[in-house]
Amino acid sequence: MPVPWEALIPFGLLTSMFAAAGTLLNVSKRAQNQGKPVRYHIDAWDEMMMDRDKRLTGHVRGQSTNPTAPEGFETSSSWYTEHTQ
Amino acid sequence: MSTFHDSASGSQPYKDPTPLPDNIPKVQELGATSAPLKSAAFFIGAYCKEYNEDFMLCKNESRGDPAHCLKEGRRVTRCATDLITKMRENCLEKFDAHWNCLELNNQEYFACRKPERALNKCMFDKLGLTKTIPGSPQGKTPIHEVASPVYTTVQR
Repeated sequence: MPVPWEALIPFGLLTSMFAAAGTLLNVSKRAQNQGKPVRYHIDAWDEMMMDRDKRLTGHVRGQSTNPTAPEGFETSSSWYTEHTQ
Repeated sequence: MSTFHDSASGSQPYKDPTPLPDNIPKVQELGATSAPLKSAAFFIGAYCKEYNEDFMLCKNESRGDPAHCLKEGRRVTRCATDLITKMRENCLEKFDAHWNCLELNNQEYFACRKPERALNKCMFDKLGLTKTIPGSPQGKTPIHEVASPVYTTVQR
């Protein structure tokens, strides 16, 4: 007796669409974070450090162990323009 | 008259219009970013203890005036730069392994104990520095030395 394989096509479509959406989302998040997993539970300290990383390397996830900072680092901080009480 | 320009809106990076005057001595700023600093944190605490404490006590008595503690701040920066240079000379691979592991794990220490043990051993052998966690309970083993901890990453 022939098996009704056409009835399984919608299930296959749904599964593949979930898989494609999930994969694309993950690839997009990783690409925005230079191939690393996303940072989560970021507090004010982490935000400050990530802003400093951006001033040092150009990207919030960029890292370097260079003991000396690049040229404009000393004057690139907008800390004192931020709102204070 | 001066207007506030949001630093995210310009094409050039933000440049401070009022930098430090020339009569204040300059210090070479530390170029290490957050993950290597987090990896080296306890060693900076061990190596630069006097300078760090000096700076903190100075800040404590200055009530918010940045000009009061510039000299102590320069000393702190120089000591940290010195230590990062020494770590790069002596333990570069283990240091890189540890902070790369931290970067892949949301910069959490508990996820990277294996590379951390290798780095601690290298730092102790080459530079004589140990990691001690201030304020850890007296009788028990410190959390970074516990052999099989309760809290780990979901995938091990």
